[in-house]
Amino acid sequence: MKVRTTEYFIREAFSSLRHNGLMSIASVSTVALSLLILGMFLIMVLNLNHMASTLESQVQISVYLQDNLKDQEIREVGTRITKIPGVVQVTFVDKDQALARFKQRLGEQQGLLAVLGDTNPLPNAFEVKVDKPERVKPAAQAVAQLKGVENARFGQEIIEQLFTLTKMVRLIGLALIVFLALAALFIISNTIRITVFARRKEIGIMKYVGATDAFIRWPFLIEGMILGFSGAVIAVVLLIEAYTLLTGQIYQKLVFLPLIPKYPFLTYVSILLIVAGTVIGALGSTISLKRFMKV
Amino acid sequence: MIHMAGVSKIYSNGSVALSDISVAIDKGDFVFIVGPSGAGKSTFIKLLFREELPTSGELYVNGRNVAELEPSEVPYLRRGLGIVFQDFRLLPNKTVYENVAFAMEVIESPRREIQKRVHHVLDLVGLRHKARNYPGHLSGGEQQRVAIARAIVNNPTVVIADEPTGNLDPDTSWEIMKIFERINKAGTTMVMATHDKMVVDGMKRRVIAIEQGRIARDQEGGQYGYES
Repeated sequence: MKVRTTEYFIREAFSSLRHNGLMSIASVSTVALSLLILGMFLIMVLNLNHMASTLESQVQISVYLQDNLKDQEIREVGTRITKIPGVVQVTFVDKDQALARFKQRLGEQQGLLAVLGDTNPLPNAFEVKVDKPERVKPAAQAVAQLKGVENARFGQEIIEQLFTLTKMVRLIGLALIVFLALAALFIISNTIRITVFARRKEIGIMKYVGATDAFIRWPFLIEGMILGFSGAVIAVVLLIEAYTLLTGQIYQKLVFLPLIPKYPFLTYVSILLIVAGTVIGALGSTISLKRFMKV
Repeated sequence: MIHMAGVSKIYSNGSVALSDISVAIDKGDFVFIVGPSGAGKSTFIKLLFREELPTSGELYVNGRNVAELEPSEVPYLRRGLGIVFQDFRLLPNKTVYENVAFAMEVIESPRREIQKRVHHVLDLVGLRHKARNYPGHLSGGEQQRVAIARAIVNNPTVVIADEPTGNLDPDTSWEIMKIFERINKAGTTMVMATHDKMVVDGMKRRVIAIEQGRIARDQEGGQYGYES
């Protein structure tokens, strides 16, 4: 394609964008909204996944001991745990230490513990670390079999809940995204239809003087792509701002929550959204051209 | 140049517009297509630039088999034709110059050639001084001259005109015919459907009369032959 022709296409596309002012704005907003929601769900799902797998790799097994064990017996349990395959570190936490930590975690609310008086309801425990995440579960099961062990817990429930949550969010997101993408497609094809209608005379003349179908279609295709692209850019800007704000807030209050760092994560999401927006735009105008311009 | 053999056109609603038309129009001919309203003149014209497809028969225009032309080849057929309509079909938001240049732009002619050709054809129709005007500020005759300039700017071998003087007064019609005559003298074939008795009788050219979808008369230096 000649440079001059490309220039012509782009000029024509922009002139009809101006011409359809309100419809153009409506299309761009719809695309922006759809992609914003798509982006939000994408970021949410990816973060939940990230959280789940981070927690999974970090988990340690808490081994709670029966209450009436002698020091000798406790040491024996400790030795046996060390021999379980995959175990790399075993730390003993006695009841007093456990209580002290608990108090610390409660922070300002540690007054609640006053009701306990002098009794300490917490058991003696071992904290066990393993070398690979997939060994957590078998190791925990092996520990639970040992004599003197009350039970052995690891973050399984939380992780499984996280995965369930991810699945749900993904499903809801998918449904919403499909719906919104269709809405965006619809409104863009409508905008292009209006352009085609406004220019039917011009299109007729173009056909009589021998313009090819491709030549006639290009400006409309470009118009659709500009609509989709602009919507995507707006969505991306909003998402980046929102994510920056949110991660800032979360890091201040919940230090331990493992979020995906902004870059390059957001760069990938942005590229994806911009491509998606442009494709929706091109598709929308193709639909309109097929239906309303018999060329 | 134009060759029809046994061409019929039946519209999808069953009405027979043309039946068994055979005609040959040679390079450089000047032909009037006349006949009562609804006799098939318009259909005849539309077949030539493949606005309509013949239902049966052979049709060649500029060496192309129009009846079996791929849709993708239609633009190339039309680049060899210049088409003029009764209602001018100019773009109101483009100047005279831009309207004419448009026909070259959409077939991707080089810019320098566009400038040269557009000025040349505007000279030919006597409107170079109105190049910057908009169609809304021109008289009907001037608008039709712009349309003619647009039709010939790509150097077509055939100019097809459908009632080009239908909206114009007699003096203006005559001016338009003089322009067509000049174009024809330069070697371009002219095919014109018309109702205009004065024009046909005055020009003394080949006349093909179509009545009820058939050729009723085909004579050189013919007359209009109907009450106007």
